[in-house]
Amino acid sequence: MEDFSATGADRSQVPPALAMTAPTVKTAAGSIAGAATKVSARDVNVFYGDKQALFDVSIDIPDRAVTAFIGPSGCGKTTFLRCINRMNDTIDGCKVTGTLQIEGKDAYGKNVDPVVLRTRVGMVFQKPNPFPKSIYENVAYGPRIHGMAKSKADMDVVVEKSLKRAGLWEEVKDRLLQPGTGLSGGQQQRLVIARTVAVNPDIILMDEPCSALDPIATAKIEELIDELRGNYTIIIVTHSMAQAARVSQKTAFFHMGKLVETGPTEEIFTNPRDSRTQDYITGRFG
Amino acid sequence: MAEHTVKAFSEELDAITQEVARMGGLAEAAVNDALSAVARRDTELAQQVMQRDAKIDAAQREIERRAIKLFALRQPMASDLRVVLTAWRIAGELERVGDLAKNIAKRALILNQAEPIQLTRSAERMGKIAAQHLKQVLDAYANKDLQAATAVWHGDDNIDAHYNSLFRELLTYMIEDPRMISSCAHLLFIAKNLERIGDHGTNIAEYIHFLITGEEIATQRPRADAD
Repeated sequence: MEDFSATGADRSQVPPALAMTAPTVKTAAGSIAGAATKVSARDVNVFYGDKQALFDVSIDIPDRAVTAFIGPSGCGKTTFLRCINRMNDTIDGCKVTGTLQIEGKDAYGKNVDPVVLRTRVGMVFQKPNPFPKSIYENVAYGPRIHGMAKSKADMDVVVEKSLKRAGLWEEVKDRLLQPGTGLSGGQQQRLVIARTVAVNPDIILMDEPCSALDPIATAKIEELIDELRGNYTIIIVTHSMAQAARVSQKTAFFHMGKLVETGPTEEIFTNPRDSRTQDYITGRFG
Repeated sequence: MAEHTVKAFSEELDAITQEVARMGGLAEAAVNDALSAVARRDTELAQQVMQRDAKIDAAQREIERRAIKLFALRQPMASDLRVVLTAWRIAGELERVGDLAKNIAKRALILNQAEPIQLTRSAERMGKIAAQHLKQVLDAYANKDLQAATAVWHGDDNIDAHYNSLFRELLTYMIEDPRMISSCAHLLFIAKNLERIGDHGTNIAEYIHFLITGEEIATQRPRADAD
């Protein structure tokens, strides 16, 4: 985080809208010992019109760790992920109830500006979606619209640091002005991650970030996730059980809109408590 | 438990479990026959036991081969992971049991050429308990019976107590009649082998506990001093 202090990204200016103060609950089942809670959800329900997609989801997401959401298609894991940066706000007829706090502050408070919230909670999607601009501009876009760099020199620093953090710098430093869409799939995904970290978020949400990538590109992203978790709270939705097992420290299993079980990844994959988790991860349904 | 969506996976897990049960049968027979070879002074049987050890070793290699294949191709998780891991671990214990039975048979060959000594009866009694211990734990594995496995785990101190008693008896015997030292020493090794077979049975009981519950047995096993 401190890498960005020279670029004008002042954290204290970002969340003043998050006015509500509520104590962060740290005692929920499945919390990792010793890790501070970054995101805390209590009884979160999500409705798409009349259809309820999530039922009473309560979970604590630890800071500076990777939390994996697993579960069969339609189980609600992506829906819950999209609650965290209020992406569901953009869907007509979508209603979210319950409380969802980031660092103890209500993410759905009246004074919270979702656009500001999303600078703190970045998102990486299934398919790499670089803007049809140069590699440089892809990374510089966010910091520019948020006024995070005062000069071209500042911006150069942000772009270089972000690309380095995303493990892409060495591969693109000589062609920063070429289109981002000209990169390979794995490089594009790392470019998107560079774009995400450029605005200095706290939390990075990843929705199946490797499902369109080959094994080598996947391994690079997984290595990157492992490096990034030292500085960010990462939440990854994945259909690959092996990937969840490889990259995460905490795993949450969703089924039919309910959070069935959550706990340290090692326990979930060796000795799950709930028979539904057991059946899912061992390939007995789903 | 429900079948896997991929049925071949379930079949492979069943097959490795059955192979462990089969290997258990071989090890159990080796122990029983080695003891009979001592009790009945049956040299031919002792030689058979020694030859049959190769089959037990082959069974272990087969189980490990299947386990490696399952790890590599199926990436077993949770209870499936425990099935494969437990099969691997039990096969290792049974291979040792086979070696110990072979060693008892080897000593039977030597004892059969010396004067019979009375203390073989005590060793026989201890052997029966150790063999029973092994049988019970293999039954517990076949039936996935946690209670039976836990009972075996608690029962090991009985074997240890027998070993200690036999150890003292043999010492007295050796002091009284130094001509018997050679035979007594072989019997002492046989007793030690039986005590170790008991320990391997106890280890298997622990693996069964892990297989069924996903947890290690928490408390320290109460044991008589067997060292």
